[in-house]
Amino acid sequence: MAEKAVVDQVVGDTFAKLMLEHVRLRPQRIAMRWKDLGIWQTWTWAETGEEVMTFSLGLKSLGVAHGDRVAIIGANRPRLYWAILAAQALGAVPVPVYADAVADEMSYVLDHAEVKVAVVQDQEQVDKVLSVAERLPTLKHIVYDNERGLRAYDHTHLHSFVALQQTMRARIAAEPQLGAAWKKAIADGKGSDPSIVLYTSGTTGRSKGVVLSSERSIAAARDTVAFDRLTDADEVVCYLPLAWVGDHYLSYAQGLVAGFCMSCPESQATVQDDLREIGPTFYFAPPRTLEALLTRVMIRMEDAGALKQAMFKFFLAHARRWGEKVLDGGDVPAGARLLYWLGNLLIYAPLKNVLGFSRIRTAYTAGEAIGPDLFAFYRSLGINLKQLYGQTEAFLYVTCQPDGQIRSDTVGPAAPRVDIRIIDSGEVYFRSPGQFIGYLKDDDKTAETMTPDGYVKTGDAGFFDQDGHLKIIDRAKDVGQLRNGSLYAPKYIENKLKFFPNIREAVAFGQDQDFVTAFINIDLTAVGNWAERNNLAYSSYQELAGHPRIYEMIAANLDEVNRALAGEPRMAGAQIKRFLILHKELDADDGEMTRTQKVRRSFVAERYDPLINALYSGKTECPIATEVTFEDGRKGMLSAVVKIQDLTLFPAASAAAYREAAE
Amino acid sequence: MSDAMTRMAPADVTMAAPARDGEVLLKVEDVSLSFGGVKAIQGVSFDIRKGEIRAIIGPNGAGKTSMLNVINGFYHPQQGRITFKGNVRSAMRPHEAAAGGIARTFQNVALFKGMSTIDNIMAGRSLKMKRGFGWQLWRGGPALAEDVAHRRFVEGIIDFLEIQAIRKQPVGRLPYGLQKRVELGRALAMEPDLLLLDEPMAGMNVEEKEDMCRFILDTREQFGTTIALIEHDMGVVMDLSDRVVVLDYGRKIADGTPDEVKADQSVIDAYLGVAH
Amino acid sequence: MSDAVIAKGDGDAARWRKALPALATLGALAAIVAAAMTGVIARGNLVYDVFIDPFIAIASLPDLFVQTVWEGFVAGVLYALIALGFVLIYKASGVFNFAQGIMVVFAALTLVGLYEFMDNAGLPAGGFLALLALVLTLAVMFALAVTVERVVLRPLVNQPEIILFMATFGLTYVLIGFGEMVFGGNPKVMITQALGLPTGVSDFAILGGRVSIQHLDVAAAIIATTMIACLAFFFQYTRIGRALRAVADSHKAALSVGITLNQIWIVVWFAAGIVALVTGIMWGARSDVSFALDIIALKALPVLILGGFTSIPGAIIGGLIIGIGEKLGEFYWGPLFGNGIETWFAYIIALIFLLFRPHGLFGEKIIERI
Repeated sequence: MAEKAVVDQVVGDTFAKLMLEHVRLRPQRIAMRWKDLGIWQTWTWAETGEEVMTFSLGLKSLGVAHGDRVAIIGANRPRLYWAILAAQALGAVPVPVYADAVADEMSYVLDHAEVKVAVVQDQEQVDKVLSVAERLPTLKHIVYDNERGLRAYDHTHLHSFVALQQTMRARIAAEPQLGAAWKKAIADGKGSDPSIVLYTSGTTGRSKGVVLSSERSIAAARDTVAFDRLTDADEVVCYLPLAWVGDHYLSYAQGLVAGFCMSCPESQATVQDDLREIGPTFYFAPPRTLEALLTRVMIRMEDAGALKQAMFKFFLAHARRWGEKVLDGGDVPAGARLLYWLGNLLIYAPLKNVLGFSRIRTAYTAGEAIGPDLFAFYRSLGINLKQLYGQTEAFLYVTCQPDGQIRSDTVGPAAPRVDIRIIDSGEVYFRSPGQFIGYLKDDDKTAETMTPDGYVKTGDAGFFDQDGHLKIIDRAKDVGQLRNGSLYAPKYIENKLKFFPNIREAVAFGQDQDFVTAFINIDLTAVGNWAERNNLAYSSYQELAGHPRIYEMIAANLDEVNRALAGEPRMAGAQIKRFLILHKELDADDGEMTRTQKVRRSFVAERYDPLINALYSGKTECPIATEVTFEDGRKGMLSAVVKIQDLTLFPAASAAAYREAAE
Repeated sequence: MSDAMTRMAPADVTMAAPARDGEVLLKVEDVSLSFGGVKAIQGVSFDIRKGEIRAIIGPNGAGKTSMLNVINGFYHPQQGRITFKGNVRSAMRPHEAAAGGIARTFQNVALFKGMSTIDNIMAGRSLKMKRGFGWQLWRGGPALAEDVAHRRFVEGIIDFLEIQAIRKQPVGRLPYGLQKRVELGRALAMEPDLLLLDEPMAGMNVEEKEDMCRFILDTREQFGTTIALIEHDMGVVMDLSDRVVVLDYGRKIADGTPDEVKADQSVIDAYLGVAH
Repeated sequence: MSDAVIAKGDGDAARWRKALPALATLGALAAIVAAAMTGVIARGNLVYDVFIDPFIAIASLPDLFVQTVWEGFVAGVLYALIALGFVLIYKASGVFNFAQGIMVVFAALTLVGLYEFMDNAGLPAGGFLALLALVLTLAVMFALAVTVERVVLRPLVNQPEIILFMATFGLTYVLIGFGEMVFGGNPKVMITQALGLPTGVSDFAILGGRVSIQHLDVAAAIIATTMIACLAFFFQYTRIGRALRAVADSHKAALSVGITLNQIWIVVWFAAGIVALVTGIMWGARSDVSFALDIIALKALPVLILGGFTSIPGAIIGGLIIGIGEKLGEFYWGPLFGNGIETWFAYIIALIFLLFRPHGLFGEKIIERI
């Protein structure tokens, strides 16, 4: 109850107001951490307030005013978070941009958002912005955080974050009323004004700018902070992309509502170590991150001694049997409980410590379907991992699983104060406290997405099961039919495929065709490790992907999926009849995936049209040449002959018998 | 965007380089070196100016690495003299060279494989550590304070080279590209006046090469270090260096700016002609 | 989660293959025990005498077993010390120092010789004189280190390892000759009492019998352990230690950062000299001090085979395994071979271990990335 009280104390309908509240209420509490030069640097709320004020006034001195848009480009760094607050304090609208966006993508967003000032992390981002600067008539200034390599640059329109702050500090010292005026402006700020523009990666076409208002954002964050009982004693590690709604919601919005400390990792490569050192209490990871972690653990265990391996296997098996029941407070016999306790002492706790999960109270995963085994693995260790379903347009939460009602195949009931409606075609509509105001400069699109009575169309198809939990099948427009009328849900099939650790990515085809086919991307870590242990020499992804033994291995996985599909009456017709292993990994740099690592289906279909034709024409192999983009933007050609393999389908009726045989 | 804005693009990096008649840091005069009957270097003279990036190129066996070994004190030339920071000498021992401000990396990476990244780079601080033997056994007081200061310096280098994630890993198990980076870090830890890089980009992929180029340029910008490097990738050499000296069969055949060297007929014959 | 690791069957197969020798041995032993129980193999049969009889002896007189293990432990500690001397020098200079054994004798002889000399010169015998002799001996060992560096290592730097190895051969004979010339060839008695080392014996009644423990052995174990701990600390945490590890890893890299090999070599040879002195005192106190002692250097060889030439923990654990193993072997299996198996049994132990751990005790498979 005391926790609740703390949350309620911070009043305000803009983030800047919330910040000033925290400065008043808990000035000496740590608000921000960042590991720099190997040491965790900290900033209290009072210090944060000062940093934000000086930078905010600095932005003002560069001409930033109410309604102007300020781009924020870079990794999770305290200064970039302060820049967001600093812009919001002026009534300006921050526009975070994915740091790994190539110059072209970046220029689209900066241009579309009519950005006036860009606050960027380092030389790399400065160079990127400069390379497209002439296409950006509104851009007036660039401010950088890390001065490394930038000394020789012309500083007419380029400013150092720190230098700007220093200048303002001097001016504030001379004119103390500056600070007071700044605070007054914050107090006058309106919560209904736009507070941020988040660009969605969009699986089709250019990305759209989702405009959110602070009063709605804060309202949504208050609900979930109460839902998960977050307080100022919680800890998060901000490692998700700054420009993604997840980070802005889970770290920033919830952080400013609850007043907890945000820790920024030293670099993207050290996140794992930093997590271990901080030990967050609230954590979010997309399924693919959880998967990668698990793969790493398993590979490390392969190298461990025999005794350790035996213990690991034994206790994991025990956890799989009882762990989730222990976590959910179910009925567990004393013996099993004791053994679980021992397992915790010997295996689970050390493992969680290595992963940095020792102190987690609440963890979420979302973004794509999570494999039941993967989900159960983390939960059985005693980690309270839950699923949520959300959208940028909703300012994240649409549904989420309350503690104790966790299932791997649904995403839970509606989040607090969210209304969900499912229309006849199966598409999910919602109305939520945090929902967006509209798309930036795109009223048509906004009108298209919103119903007249204020619901937002998600574009996803789903249904409620008997417990009132939402189950998402696929994108509404992607659920289709084969030529013979069988139901065909590509995402559903692909997710089943991706649950195999050998398979990193899969793309299924079949709309208006006679049967289903699939592209497979193997997981280089898992398969490469297997190859190493089996003395299979390979020099590249391409070579490994084309190896007959790998085909054999993948075919076995696909057989299993087919067997499972055969067991589901509505899906039996959608078994995979032919497949191929792609000669390259699908890559965001080549436009095959979104920056959030989702496959762009239509783009892939177009790009690999010859391969799809080959899949449906009965050929056993097909030559293909593909243009690839290197990280520095140069392009090259990759050509290969891709083999195609046929699979035997399972009759729908005998599936049960097969499954028993398999178990 | 305004015109002024587009002009904000990085000033030509060579602008920071010294003019052609900058102060000479190292001068090699008429140096000859032979092993038994094999003449590795024959009467080579050139100089390296303060703050410049100087490339030494030439076909295999041209005597490039031998030249670095002479400068660095590994080899003692039979003839000739070397002037470094105004002091003339014909031979010096490696640790004298190190103490004098010459650091280097090696063609095939010579790291302390059993030690962590931190320890490797700390080893580069060996000469900077003043407290004597007795102090080291007693790990308190001034020795500890000194250790902390060195550690801070080393952390700065780790940050500079963006190798935070491998800070505590034994270097023997790192990928080659990272090993090269750690080796550069160890050389930088010596705060050298002259940094000798022996094929810093050998065996790297395009991306790693670009990173390394950036580190080399940033090293000069950040620390004002003079750099002499041997490199086979001509694109890299032409982009990076202010002046190039070309060796062939132990003799100097050309010396000048990248453009001058590129146009030099004897270089085309001896080197570029051979290479293509 | 088992399916998270692909094709785990193959991984298992590899593990089974690795475990094969161990399993085979276990199986054979089980078969022998079963045979003995059923009376197929009886007393007098060689198989029975090797695999059954000694264990019955161990079970029936556990106090004797404890006594043997203790003696083995003390010997093992001393073996470990000698091996440590080898490892130190090998790590830092890549030289297999054949002279390490003779350095032990030389150090002990110098200590006793100096003490006798000063005693004869009229200085009052006793603790102070012993201390003085100890300090002087250390000075001599330091001088030896400097001399070796100057005369042997420096001129031969960059020569093949075999040349340096041969040079240490030479050093061995120089030291023997020099020692005999100065101190004479007769065996001497270690100045145990003057050094303040305890000499008594304590008996303990345990396991229905008595175990007697020499106080000197206890002191030896304590001093050796302290010494090893000091060395470990020195290598791990001091700058010289770091420099030394650097030199051990790569000479040219160490040179390039300004570490002077000469200084490191002196430090290492001096450290090896101190280790030799301690070993010499302990060993000399148990027998006498003569050049015959240098055969103990041969004991270090199986320890090194077991522990690896570059591993300090390897030298310690290896020393203990060899020490305890050989005493047990001598006591329980020795009579079968007419006793006196100690001299070669150590090698058998080392070979048996290598069968199971081909990379040595602390060796790991080195997969270098190039």
